[in-house]
Amino acid sequence: MAIAEGDILESEKRLRSLRSVMSQRADELSDEQLMSRLGGPGVETAISALYDRYSRTVFGVGLKILGDRSSAEELVQDVFLKVWRSASTFDPSRGSFSTWLYRVTRSCALDLYRKRAHKVHPVPEGESYLATARDSSAGPQEVVDESWLSWRVSRALEVLDAPHREVIELAYFGGLSQREISARTGVPIGTVKTRTARAFKRLRQELAVGDTPQEASR
Amino acid sequence: MKCTDVSPNLAAFVVGGMEPEEAAEVQRHIASCSSCRNELEELEKVNRALQAAPPLEDPPSHLKEEILSQVRAEELSSSDEAAGPSGGYRSTYLRFVIARVAAAALVAMAAIGIVFGLREEPPVATIQLVPTPEEAAGLEEYWGVAELHQLPLGNQQVELKLNNFDEPEPNSYYELWFVSGEKRISAGSFTSVGKGETRVLLTVAPEARNCRTLLITEERADNDPAPSESVALIGEMP
Repeated sequence: MAIAEGDILESEKRLRSLRSVMSQRADELSDEQLMSRLGGPGVETAISALYDRYSRTVFGVGLKILGDRSSAEELVQDVFLKVWRSASTFDPSRGSFSTWLYRVTRSCALDLYRKRAHKVHPVPEGESYLATARDSSAGPQEVVDESWLSWRVSRALEVLDAPHREVIELAYFGGLSQREISARTGVPIGTVKTRTARAFKRLRQELAVGDTPQEASR
Repeated sequence: MKCTDVSPNLAAFVVGGMEPEEAAEVQRHIASCSSCRNELEELEKVNRALQAAPPLEDPPSHLKEEILSQVRAEELSSSDEAAGPSGGYRSTYLRFVIARVAAAALVAMAAIGIVFGLREEPPVATIQLVPTPEEAAGLEEYWGVAELHQLPLGNQQVELKLNNFDEPEPNSYYELWFVSGEKRISAGSFTSVGKGETRVLLTVAPEARNCRTLLITEERADNDPAPSESVALIGEMP
């Protein structure tokens, strides 16, 4: 009655295949469809797919608002657990999932910001630029309100395909000139310029639609 | 420079990554061209937005698993609170989750060789599990054995050895019940991993000690916490 090694390998193959099918199906679902699965057996697959789509934006906005990595990581955890716990409060007829998730993120960030305000935090070496951002004259509400623009840009960047996002990342986050991007990527300078122009065109379209800060904060 | 030369380069101009002489040419053109100037203003808006962009960085990879673990833990907790006949969806769903975990654990155990010589002590009881006639129809070598083992702290563990136990229907799982009269106590859920021999370890609740009948049912992941009518195997304590 011993289990043959071949049976185990076959079982593992089946499980992998099953997981792959489930994952593929989740990729094909809209955000709203995934949200509807958070109350059912597909909860892990659904939250995993939403995490893959949005964690970078939440983390990035967390870094921007809260200013340090550990707080941004705490924000990511708080946000996705709140998404799961509060899934029933999401009403797709009242707005997109992205806007709802922004509100959740904003609320969690404000909580963390206030909680942290009561503590003294040493600023680790190398994070002085973030400390400067925190020390601005803007209060927590103002700082968080600015996050809507960060959110929208981050989401807009996510819709760019890899080559177009790369030129934007290297220009804005890497501080490289068009020629330096060309040298770094091995892509001709003319192509770098074309990709930059196309990326801008797409970003312009993406940023032209969507809620105002007031609508997003409702 | 003409508009057709300048326009494709305006984004690069806005980014500020052009060579100085190229930038100067673009600057001269837009000073005298309202169309390109208007386009430049639009691109400047995108530029300002990009300057407000957060870093494009993935969070640490362990975060996702931590979140999923927390979800599982809370599912367990809410299921405990909702235990009983009216346990509702969370309880039913929990069993579905456990079934998946059990299936994964089964493969893991097999991989590390635990199944070959699980423990030295002999079982305190061995129960032959046989299919109902309708389940057995057309199937060969379809049977099971449940071995009860005593654990150090007074709990018991049941080791199921199932042969040719097919995978459950989609969105379904198997569940082991200890039965005494009208009382049915679940010992947990699992999914089979296919033909051949399947081994599953489940923990037996202390209140199941006096139950003499074991049932393995096929359950659907629905809102009904009661045992289904679909009995795969049945056995009596010797």
